Amino acid sequence: MEQRDGNRYRNMFRSLVTRMILVSMVPLAGIGGANFLLFYQLNRSVVLEQHANFLRYHKESVESFLNSLVSEMISWTHQYSLEELKSGTLEKLYRINQGRGGLLEDLGVIDSRGDHVRYVGPYDLAKKNYRETEWFSRVVEDGLYVSDMFLGFRGVPHFIIAVKRPEGEDFWILRATVNTDYFVRVLDTARLGTTGETFIVNQRGLYQIPPRSGGTPLDFSGFPDLGPHEGITVKELKVEDRTFLCSSVWIPRPQWLLVFRQETSDVYAPLWKASFVGLLLFLAGGLGAAIFSVAAARDQVRRIHRADLEKESLTQRLLVAGRTAAVGEMSAGLAHEINNPLATIDTLQTWIRDLASASPIPEEDRQEILESAAKIGQQVARCKVITQGLLKFSRRVEAAQEAVDLRELLEEMAVISRARARVENIVLEQNLGELPPVWGSPAHLQQVFANLINNAMDASAGRPHAKVIIKAWAEGGQVLVSLEDNGCGIPQENLSRIFTPFFTTKPVGKGTGLGLAICHGLVQNMGGEIRVESMAGRGSRFTVVLPAFKRGSEAPGDQNRSQEGHPQGTG
Amino acid sequence: MELVSVLIVDDEKEFASSLSKVLARRGFQVETALSGQEALELLGRRSFQVALLDVKMPGQDGLALLKIFQERAPAMAVILMTGHISPEEELSGKAVGAFAYLLKPHPIPQLVELIQKAAKAAGPSCKKGHGS
Repeated sequence: MEQRDGNRYRNMFRSLVTRMILVSMVPLAGIGGANFLLFYQLNRSVVLEQHANFLRYHKESVESFLNSLVSEMISWTHQYSLEELKSGTLEKLYRINQGRGGLLEDLGVIDSRGDHVRYVGPYDLAKKNYRETEWFSRVVEDGLYVSDMFLGFRGVPHFIIAVKRPEGEDFWILRATVNTDYFVRVLDTARLGTTGETFIVNQRGLYQIPPRSGGTPLDFSGFPDLGPHEGITVKELKVEDRTFLCSSVWIPRPQWLLVFRQETSDVYAPLWKASFVGLLLFLAGGLGAAIFSVAAARDQVRRIHRADLEKESLTQRLLVAGRTAAVGEMSAGLAHEINNPLATIDTLQTWIRDLASASPIPEEDRQEILESAAKIGQQVARCKVITQGLLKFSRRVEAAQEAVDLRELLEEMAVISRARARVENIVLEQNLGELPPVWGSPAHLQQVFANLINNAMDASAGRPHAKVIIKAWAEGGQVLVSLEDNGCGIPQENLSRIFTPFFTTKPVGKGTGLGLAICHGLVQNMGGEIRVESMAGRGSRFTVVLPAFKRGSEAPGDQNRSQEGHPQGTG
Repeated sequence: MELVSVLIVDDEKEFASSLSKVLARRGFQVETALSGQEALELLGRRSFQVALLDVKMPGQDGLALLKIFQERAPAMAVILMTGHISPEEELSGKAVGAFAYLLKPHPIPQLVELIQKAAKAAGPSCKKGHGS
């Protein structure tokens, strides 16, 4: 019992703690989650805005750089004639370029036949004919051509700008090779976080300017989706085991894709940092909630435990009171049943004295004295049956459960009940078959049947041909005991309330309204039930159904009791 | 002096017979009846000055019998006997007309005294109903 109670309170404690922690942590987790999402979006939009700014800035730099080169070369073709360029001006221009940082690797003039008529630069390109090259036909057609990157003889990436100068029907071309120093320098300034970097690929996905972190010019970049698009596009890209957030924009001439990329782990570093702090706070909150919950639950369970103890002691007192009441009611008839033999004994002893006062005593008187003494003995035996019945009844106070032979118990009770029945002019019949034992407390069983028998007698006392029948039989693993009376019966509207504590129809001072409530609790406690059939004015039948006890099996009442807690309190 | 006639009505056979012998020895003329019906039969044949009447009896109980006695033998003094713990409660208002009640067991000497007092109150035995 104690262990079961312990488990009960432990479970109560656990469920209280769990509920309190859930109640405090679920909203906290919700707020945390919502914050995470908000922060994620904020983080992403801030990063993307930064990316866009970088891209816009670099696009402009690259474009203006290219434009300034192109426009400078166009202005040269207009400023100087072919003859001037062939005779020393080209060298002069190349020297100026060298003075400005040597962006131009070389400079050359090509005539309409494709012959390299003049060349300044480190390579041996003079006298070369370009008529069959692609760029030549492009510049003849468009008047201006900016190439993709290519590796020259030294393996250094560069590109060319070629400007056509029409002159009447004829034309000539000014061509320059541009190195990538400027781009590399400019793009290198665009850094963000630890992994943010810029690079350029051409339409075929070849690196024009590779990223700072690695890559060789003109190697395939693997950058997908190189179709033309307006403005800035953003995508996430997985390269090997790293994921990048990539923003890209097209530079229209020479159709280069400017890409800014940053590893997502880097992009979301602030988010992870904030999440980590948030998680720490959440865990701290959880710990706080857990400590609080445990303290609160322990306090609560202690209170409940105290209340249960109080309730239990009240229930115990109630049981004792109910028992006292039942014994009192039963013993009302007992005095009468003992007083009658006592009166007989008294007259017999007077008669013996009368006869014995003569001296000498005649033989027939002596015989009568002996007979009278024997009669006294019979009367004493009669009293003894009653007092012993009462003794058995009142001695049973232990609530401990055991296998009980109901037949024996009911027979004992019938002895004392018969006394009252005689006094009240009630015929008490008993019909007890062979019964298997039941598992329960003898004291409690006695109390149950005492109450039911008393009720049956109360209901039928004073009515003509009053009769109470105690019947007991076994049926399908159950033991049934019915108490039937032909008394006043219970009106239909009261039937549902008879097991309610303090419900009584007896006059004030006669009934407590607890008898049936206590019976109900006690029987339920033993895993049984009480059935009631009644008809107002005709009588009632109360049937107590108890599970038969099989030896070796678990006590049937125990299981039920653990669910009920303290069933005495239920009825 | 004429013997005082006493009728004992009690379903306790041993009590009735022993009391009758004890009273007879003390100079009473005693008859016993083990039930109300027997008592009424006896009363139909003769009269008594005093009746000792048990309250609790199966069938017709003492109180019902008391009423009948008062109708048929108004001169007869009736002493009620009861084994009940509190006769006041048991008899409240129902023992009107009884000469006295006594609690069983009752000491014989006092009982004898009570019967004699009752007989005086009832007067000599009434012949009414005698031989009817």
